[in-house]
Amino acid sequence: MRTSWQPAVATPDGALAPGATAAKRGRRRKSEPGGRTAPGGTAAGGLGGRAGLTMTLPFMILYALFFLAPFLYSIVLSLRSPQTGAFVGLFNYRNAVGNGLFWSAVIRMAYFGAIQVTVMIVLAVVLALFLDSPYCLRRKAFALIYFLPYAVPGVIAAMMWAFLLQPDLDNALKVPHLLGLASGPLNPLSYGFVLYAMMLIVTWEWTGYNMTILLTSLTSVPREVLESGKIDGASELSIAWRIKLPMIRRTIAFITIISIIGTLQLFNEPVVLNDIASMGSSYSPNQIIYNTAFSFGNEQLAAAQSIILALITVVATAVFYRIVRQRFGLAGTVRGAAR
Amino acid sequence: MTAAGSVAGSAQTRRVTASAPGRDARRARAARRAKTAAGTTLAVIAAVYVLVPIYWLVMASAKNTPQLFSTSTFLPPSHLSWGENFRLLFTVDGGYFGFWILNSAIYALVTATLATAVSTLCGYGLAKYSFRGRRIVFAFVVGSLLVPTTALVVPLFLLEHDIHLINSYQGVILPLLVYPFGVYFMWLFSADAVPGALLDAARIDGAGEFKVFWKVSRPSLMPGMVTLFLLSFIGTWNNYFLPLVLLGTTTKFPLTVGLTAWASELNSPGAGQPLYPEVILGSLISVLPMLILFPFLQKYIARGLTFGAIVGE
Repeated sequence: MRTSWQPAVATPDGALAPGATAAKRGRRRKSEPGGRTAPGGTAAGGLGGRAGLTMTLPFMILYALFFLAPFLYSIVLSLRSPQTGAFVGLFNYRNAVGNGLFWSAVIRMAYFGAIQVTVMIVLAVVLALFLDSPYCLRRKAFALIYFLPYAVPGVIAAMMWAFLLQPDLDNALKVPHLLGLASGPLNPLSYGFVLYAMMLIVTWEWTGYNMTILLTSLTSVPREVLESGKIDGASELSIAWRIKLPMIRRTIAFITIISIIGTLQLFNEPVVLNDIASMGSSYSPNQIIYNTAFSFGNEQLAAAQSIILALITVVATAVFYRIVRQRFGLAGTVRGAAR
Repeated sequence: MTAAGSVAGSAQTRRVTASAPGRDARRARAARRAKTAAGTTLAVIAAVYVLVPIYWLVMASAKNTPQLFSTSTFLPPSHLSWGENFRLLFTVDGGYFGFWILNSAIYALVTATLATAVSTLCGYGLAKYSFRGRRIVFAFVVGSLLVPTTALVVPLFLLEHDIHLINSYQGVILPLLVYPFGVYFMWLFSADAVPGALLDAARIDGAGEFKVFWKVSRPSLMPGMVTLFLLSFIGTWNNYFLPLVLLGTTTKFPLTVGLTAWASELNSPGAGQPLYPEVILGSLISVLPMLILFPFLQKYIARGLTFGAIVGE
């Protein structure tokens, strides 16, 4: 039940990690990530087995009540009439799909993501590779600074930047005007620019988080592989490009997928910016869902919209994963190198 | 490889050749310095990008409303208004801010403690025992990692409304205890951290499974639990969407919802005196504890984030 950019929603893990984990351990096969062989080795079934079941119970009860129940409820709800509560089949879905505002919000987020996610991932990769190189001094200090925004709530980050991007409050925005380069103070929060202002904010929030993941991933690249690269006379730059980058491509795919999901779920930033930049309350799909449910009281339509957005997210993730898997062969080759 | 020395200016110059060791060594040092300078420049620009808003927040929190609009953006004001702003922050609007801090602390502490306990037990149970239904539990955990959880907020609101959980502390905390990533993390962590032989030894001594867990496994699981606690704490402290939907009473708001409510009135005419200094100082206070603790916590947090991603390399 985390909010959109809550990083612990490590969604693609399910797709990426279990197989990889099995390969790392070398004990379980990929085909049976939840299989019968318990990794620690214990008495199968019997008394120990019941203890295991008991241990999972508190989670499973909470899961049934606060995850499964709302999930099933939203499906039932989406099939009912907003007026009478009677079963109406796909009526709400037809309504949701026919809503132009909803699609323009989805397309806006797709455009947003195409630019913002690309810039952020490239920046994170470059910074991580530099911090991992012998050219970097004060590596620890940089790593800490980049990671700081993770401690700042999304809404507070958006507020901070919203103040900083207001011409009334920020003298720096008047400089181009004073130099005669612009007809007035720059206003990054005006309607035409606010999407890019949001990119600046989201990039600020998540680049360091992604870089941290990449950097840890880089430190696990086997040193022998790097040493052999050096003996062959490869420069640091070509070691980074030809050895390190391919070794972390799974991680890059992983953080890109998290970012795509986060972009489609964007809520905090548009809500906060709307208070100051007034770009309307239909800016992102989640904002529309929120308003459908709580401003217009049409929970049935909101449920249908939520499900459609979830499906769009799953499809976008799957398409991205297929493309990178075919293009970069993420399936098996790297796994072999992991012990 | 002596030919490498002749490729002047290329990356190959780092290699010292036998023909002209002095000159090439100098050239190598120069190339190294150039690369250090180029990389450091980029790294410093990125660091400035990260630090500027935080620095601005500290400066702006010392200004009163007229100073905010008249003094230089990035410089401290001639007289510091921290005391005045602090007093305003805790008294304005019925003194809600004190409630919000307390609420954020309650939500984050209780959620993190219980979510860690529940996830650890479940992850450990999955890792160390085979039992009927284990595959099903596993499928649920991994499957829910794939569901964008914002999709559940609307039905959760309605469900909590029906069972009278809405607008209560429990109503916010209980859904946050379902932390599939936490289970997944502790499942992997337990598999690595607790050797099966140790458990078997304890069992031979006649200890029951829960005693084995408490006496033998828990100490080994502690580092993982610390990581999970921090992730859950920060996630809850920073959460906005869920409490926004589930809470209606101002005195139950966490900081994120409260401060955003103040900020939404900044630009609406007729909402009274805009609370600029309060919102700014409030924002600073809401991030300060974590920023100060971050250098000590960073490595624990980073370990949790990277756990899922790293295993494939």
